[in-house]
Amino acid sequence: MILRFAAVVAAALVLAAPAAACAHPRTSLAYLEGQVMCPTCHTTLDMSDSAAAVQIKSFISKRIAQCATAEQIKSELVANYGQAILAAPSHKGFDLLAWWLPVAGVLGGGLVLGIGVWRWSRRQRDDVPREPAGSGLDEETERRLDDLLARFD
Amino acid sequence: MTRRLKLSAQVVALAAVAGLLALLVWQLGHQHHAPRVGAVAPSFTLRRLEGSGTVSLSAYRGKAVVLNFWASWCNPCKSEAKVLQRDWTQYRDRVVFLGVDYHDLSSDARRFVDVHGLTFPMLDDGSGNVTHGKYGITQVPETFVVSRTGRIVAHLAGPITNPTFAAEFRSALAKAAA
Repeated sequence: MILRFAAVVAAALVLAAPAAACAHPRTSLAYLEGQVMCPTCHTTLDMSDSAAAVQIKSFISKRIAQCATAEQIKSELVANYGQAILAAPSHKGFDLLAWWLPVAGVLGGGLVLGIGVWRWSRRQRDDVPREPAGSGLDEETERRLDDLLARFD
Repeated sequence: MTRRLKLSAQVVALAAVAGLLALLVWQLGHQHHAPRVGAVAPSFTLRRLEGSGTVSLSAYRGKAVVLNFWASWCNPCKSEAKVLQRDWTQYRDRVVFLGVDYHDLSSDARRFVDVHGLTFPMLDDGSGNVTHGKYGITQVPETFVVSRTGRIVAHLAGPITNPTFAAEFRSALAKAAA
């Protein structure tokens, strides 16, 4: 009984030792699975159970257990598979286009939409029929109308 | 002014549509296909999986070459490895065998080579630029037999342990070695 307890304690210490040795918060497999691609199926790792994806997940788990940071793991994967292993393009060089083109597209679309709405509302205003400047009655009719109204006073 | 603005918007919209069409055509024209039997084997240079340095296919012009694409995560590659090693031992004085490791972790690939006792040169194509980009391969294992003139004489899109491919491989190998 004592021996069994000692074995459990020893196993717990062995497992806990690497965790305690980490100088920074550990990253997680769940976090990296969404950022790394499966090279053979072209989806992120969390969407794939292919043999290649399972191999990379196992590598990530091993490196997390060894206290590697997310950035370290990603750069090791890039060194092995190339930049395409990352789900998001990098923030430098030609890859910057992938980040800025959607922003430019949304801004451009908003501008076109704004101009369109502004022009449409201006046209609507121009089309509203205006009140005639005067009463629109000739002098004779106006005089008779005045006479009639005077009778009611 | 308004007319000019309208015209400019139409030109921009047309240019955008033309750009998207050009992108579609370019994409269709750049899809990766396996080279046909009889075509010249696409040239490449890859770094060695073990040790340092690179290997170019062009360096073997004048010799028959067996190009085997594999990965350590691929199950059929395991059974195929023994057959390839046996054939390499048998034909090594007449045919060059090159293994190309595809979309694989180098450490796992090296372990695979050790476990299966493979002694022919192994090349690392972790990015898949050669395997997929030049040879149009999406699944491993696949094997190409290249003649002394650099032309593809056989393409086996599956493990050479498969009875259908085994006969074709041995026939192509004998022909290339002759």
